Amino acid sequence: MAKTHAGPTETDPILHRWSTLVADVLLDHRVHMFGYVPDEVSGHLLRRLEAEPACTVVCCTREEEAVATVAGAYLGGKRGAVVLQTSGIGNSMNALGSFVVPYQIPMLLIVSERGGLGEFNPAQVPLGHAVPRVLDALGIQTFPLTPEAEIAPVLAGAAELAFATMMPVAVVLTTRLTGGKTLR
Amino acid sequence: MNRLDAIRRIVPLLGDAAVVSNLGRNTYDLYEASDRPENFYMWGAMGSTSSVGLGIAMAQPARRVVVLDGDGSMLMSLGCLATVAAYRPANLILVVLDNETYETTGGQATHSGRCADLEAVARGAGLAHTATVTTVDDFAAALGRALRDPGPWFILAKVEQATSFARVPRRPIFIKDRFMAALGTTAG
Ligand SMILES: Cc1ncc(C[n+]2csc(CCOP(=O)(O)OP(=O)(O)O)c2C)c(N)n1
Ligand SMILES: [Mg+2]
Repeated sequence: MAKTHAGPTETDPILHRWSTLVADVLLDHRVHMFGYVPDEVSGHLLRRLEAEPACTVVCCTREEEAVATVAGAYLGGKRGAVVLQTSGIGNSMNALGSFVVPYQIPMLLIVSERGGLGEFNPAQVPLGHAVPRVLDALGIQTFPLTPEAEIAPVLAGAAELAFATMMPVAVVLTTRLTGGKTLR
Repeated sequence: MNRLDAIRRIVPLLGDAAVVSNLGRNTYDLYEASDRPENFYMWGAMGSTSSVGLGIAMAQPARRVVVLDGDGSMLMSLGCLATVAAYRPANLILVVLDNETYETTGGQATHSGRCADLEAVARGAGLAHTATVTTVDDFAAALGRALRDPGPWFILAKVEQATSFARVPRRPIFIKDRFMAALGTTAG
């Protein structure tokens, strides 16, 4: 429904490969509900998921809304993930800390990395850098998805951890994996 | 209208509808009116209640989902109205119990009593089926229609500040498990 941005990396075969691997693991684990705020890096993954008939993909106005919507879908019987960039974790704190964690509602947080290797924007650095510690402070574990050979085992392990132990779990789409943002 | 009277009046109309109540007074009064297993009580995450309802409604399209949100909380995340309007789940009914105050934190005035018309905001966000009601009878009529006819619905119910003293057990995990068992979604 929502049109995502087709950036210049759209036809890059490397981008195709990682997003296909990620989508396949998510579908294997019956993760079918997605909430997101657009981001260049995750655009391709989202288009792939939107093409899956089993998936519901919701474009939200704020990442906190995406967390709450995906949590609601879990209550309604659908496993889900929030796709967001590191700054979106900042926008999600209250929904995570005073709803998802205390109610033990599992979900995946698929975070595209900003503020680390290759970053060009000073405004992305402090929060991007703080994300794993901020999540850790809430008891949420974070796992980087690098290198490509480890995407499947790490993401599958994160899904198992989340849905078996009823906790949100974060995975990071690192710039080393995705090549980072190209639109400057 | 008095909020507790208003909720008591709609309980018999609900059938097996899921109800999500906003943190604070809405949760207290829903519990006091009727503690059903299909009730999901929020204890935190001010501003997220309607989005939780959206997620349930999208995952359970065959079941009616009623959200009892607050004016202060809706003002905290107006963007969710545009998201609901964009995806249009026909089974979702958003109710804002508007007492023009942050009653749970001591009754400080919200902007809904000064200038912000939340029904107009909902229409502006793209929601076509909206109503403002000021009496218990009109509230029951609007909700009855929303439970029958396809939505999504937005009902702004103007209520008085009225302190409820209900003591609701704060057991979020128990409430989640009971709710999911009632909806038959535990296996998730
Ligand atoms: C993020 C956040 N900010 C502030 C509060 C404190 N707080 C709890 S309930 C509440 C009032 C909510 O107002 P409204 O939605 O109108 O509901 P009412 O209390 O009037 O029923 C506030 C400000 C909070 N719990 N969380
Ligand atoms: Mg209020």
